[in-house]
Amino acid sequence: MKAFDTYLLDRAKQDGAHKLESYRKLGGYKGLEKVLKTGLTPAAVIDEVKKSNLRGRGGAGFPTGLKWSFMPDPAKDPRPRYLAINADESEPGTCKDRVLMERDPHGLVEGSLIAAYAIRAQAVYIYVRGEYRLSHDRVRDAILEARAAKLVGKNILGSDFSCEIYMHKGAGAYICGEETGLMESLEGKRGHPRPKPPFPAMSGLWGQPTTVNNVETVFNAPFIIERGGAWLAGIGTKGSSGNFLCGISGHVNKPGVYELPFGVTAKEIIEDKAGGIWKGRKLKAWFPGGSSCALLTGKDVDVVLDHDSLKARGSSLGTAAMIMIDDSTSIARVMEIIARFYDHESCGQCSQCREGTQWLAQIFRRIAHGKGQPDDIDTLDALAKGMAPGKTICALSDAAAIPTLSAVRLFKDELMECVRKQRDPLAVKQPEYAVAGGHH
Amino acid sequence: MVKITVNGQQIEADPKKPLIHACHTHDVDVPMYCYHPGLSPVGSCRICQVEVKQGEAPGRVMVACRTYPAEGMVVDTESPKAHETRRECLEFLLKNHPLDCPICDKAGECDLQDFTYAEGQAAGRTHEPRRPLEKRKSLGDTIVLDEERCILCSRCVRFFEEIPKQAQLTVSDLGSRSVISTFMDKPLKGKYQGNIADLCPVGALTLTKFRFQARVWNLTKMASTCGECSRGCSTTVEVLRGSDVKRIRPRENLDVNGWWICDIGRFAFSHINAPNRLEGSLVREVPGLSIARNEDALCAVRDMMMRHKEVLFLVSPWLTVEEGQKLLDYSKRFGSKPIFVSPEHNSEKDTVLHTGDPCPNRRGLTELGIEGLPQKAAIERMQKSKCIVLLGERIVELIGASAVEALPHATSVAVFDCHALDLPQVQACVGIANSAERTGTWVNIDGVKGPIAAVKPTPRNVRALERHLDDLVKLSPSTESMGARAR
Repeated sequence: MKAFDTYLLDRAKQDGAHKLESYRKLGGYKGLEKVLKTGLTPAAVIDEVKKSNLRGRGGAGFPTGLKWSFMPDPAKDPRPRYLAINADESEPGTCKDRVLMERDPHGLVEGSLIAAYAIRAQAVYIYVRGEYRLSHDRVRDAILEARAAKLVGKNILGSDFSCEIYMHKGAGAYICGEETGLMESLEGKRGHPRPKPPFPAMSGLWGQPTTVNNVETVFNAPFIIERGGAWLAGIGTKGSSGNFLCGISGHVNKPGVYELPFGVTAKEIIEDKAGGIWKGRKLKAWFPGGSSCALLTGKDVDVVLDHDSLKARGSSLGTAAMIMIDDSTSIARVMEIIARFYDHESCGQCSQCREGTQWLAQIFRRIAHGKGQPDDIDTLDALAKGMAPGKTICALSDAAAIPTLSAVRLFKDELMECVRKQRDPLAVKQPEYAVAGGHH
Repeated sequence: MVKITVNGQQIEADPKKPLIHACHTHDVDVPMYCYHPGLSPVGSCRICQVEVKQGEAPGRVMVACRTYPAEGMVVDTESPKAHETRRECLEFLLKNHPLDCPICDKAGECDLQDFTYAEGQAAGRTHEPRRPLEKRKSLGDTIVLDEERCILCSRCVRFFEEIPKQAQLTVSDLGSRSVISTFMDKPLKGKYQGNIADLCPVGALTLTKFRFQARVWNLTKMASTCGECSRGCSTTVEVLRGSDVKRIRPRENLDVNGWWICDIGRFAFSHINAPNRLEGSLVREVPGLSIARNEDALCAVRDMMMRHKEVLFLVSPWLTVEEGQKLLDYSKRFGSKPIFVSPEHNSEKDTVLHTGDPCPNRRGLTELGIEGLPQKAAIERMQKSKCIVLLGERIVELIGASAVEALPHATSVAVFDCHALDLPQVQACVGIANSAERTGTWVNIDGVKGPIAAVKPTPRNVRALERHLDDLVKLSPSTESMGARAR
């Protein structure tokens, strides 16, 4: 792997960087100071971010500057406006935002304030996953410290920019990480995603203009302001700029969260960072960006990690949470677990998703337990096609359908063998586990 | 208004109302479960998918309940892609549906059943058993929930939130474990509960009073008007094989009641079905009231009126405009003007439909020139009269039998009601048709005319009041010869 500059995790690697004092010593709040003291206009901030080609790190990879520019002009639309930070990181395999929040919470606070300034939001809501207790406490403490130092609240750093930051703890639902579900949950309702349009920029939190950004996305903002958009655009590949956090998990020797520039190959990450596949086994399949992405095979490790290259292989970068699966593992069992997750987490509004996720889970469970039927593989394929793409209110249905379609496409023979032999040849004797949902 | 094309037909559509509304108003059939014209659209059942083309972009399949008409939009509800998407959606909806149509009260008027027949595949692909849930969960005295049949369209949830504005139901739990429930399983409250049984697109919510009472295809349905308050909600009255009224449901009428009706009106059919009807007529003979032919009874009434100088006509507020007019014309011969008994306002008044005024035709009768008198004042008038004719459904109930009993024995009373009144003062009783057996018009509080329909035949020998009045006119001397009396 070629040498590259790091910036995202530099502070996080230092112990105690979560304190304001050390954060400042390490160069923190310089970006915010630059914005507020040199008189950068919100439009100039958005322009800089647009210039950097920063794309959202929450999974969809939407250009951040463009998203910010969707907020209505405050001169024509005087409604209050909000920024919601999506820290409800619950995609299986994803654990990158946690590192930032636990070890460098001021980076999130500073990034949020810059984003809030750009979209002229008067309040920021940070929606933290309920299980992330340390993340929540660290960000909360950082906000308290920042408020005491006049970095949050009224007239930040003596400027006329005022912005409040509020914390909100989720209650453990995956669907609340979907941006409109997150907003419903923030408003105190059930986390049922809202149909779009209207889009959040027109009608979001409490019906007001709202932007929802991922933690890592806004974390990039202070660096862009400080070093310039062109600097970030110079890192990575043409369509995907900057460094990204790659959470690699599964059957590797050194799983963890690594900072990498776009453009490295999966093979480089597995071998140079993660220490290779464990126990001397071979890579059978892998998810490049969390369990909602299409599976790739061991042969695909030469793929360059960025949005466009993975799209060309029929998958997506998602949150860059790579889940590695070695050749001793049964795909039927992998898919059983993944389908069970989506069945458990579907909100139940849309017919396709509510019934479809359950159906997929039931079929994969049967196949993995030696009770597959000859038509099961075809049914899986047909069901997944009926659930996606874009047939439901939100993308959870797609998230369940996409890995299913890829598993059926890539591992049809293996699944068929499980059905034919009425047992899973690769099955490992499992301890009895509680079945999600309780009524299967 | 914008111009759009639906299935090749150019139509004008309101851009503020969902596309499905435009389709339905132009007789283009698009299936729906979660959408209801009276509730806010949520777009969750996903069955109303149609193909929409805007500008040069290729057609996209979208839900018609969350898409709004825009100028130049081209909609195809019957494209292969739209059909395919709806078929897929239907298969998911049927995944856990028990298909117990043979024992389901909704069968025959079930949106899911209808659409499955129209579009669905003949065989299912599931190998799993359907999810076992509670089959008869009581939601109070009015509604029973069958959780297995529920397709979670959430119409009932939104109904309570949006119409009576008292949220009572919710979807609890997540995903495929979702069920409809009340908070802590408390029974439903309020007098608009029955509507959710109509709203339910499947047989999940049923009325306790209609469960297993009839197969819906055996019911004769007629458009009528509710007589329980002066709102005069439009209704459909449903009769099983020409005998009993089994169900009263709201009939869509945006000028009056929208899509709703209160439970008072919905269940106001026990008196219609009541036994002990006066089937024919009674006339006073020496020992007491005895059965007589209708003509003889009418002659007795005529003779009674002719014997007295003044006649007091007291009528029920359930009289139709037509009956009121006939009576008004007839009573002129006696130089008298009918008066309707006006019951007091009750405590049922609310902000949704019920007006609290129990007279369904107060406005109609008043416009004819018939005045209303409260019960007490009406009784005072009776005490001053020697000859009284009580007319109309429920008139005895309104005046009170005891009020008639308290009159001097010399007073002559004739009664035209559904039930007999056996008191010494009563000279004749004539059975009349009730509000499910006669036609006519009521005028509601806002001046909207509501038709009432004869949904079932009258019992033998019972006729509508209008026909009795016609006969009385024929049996009475001509107006000229009575001129001396008519002042």
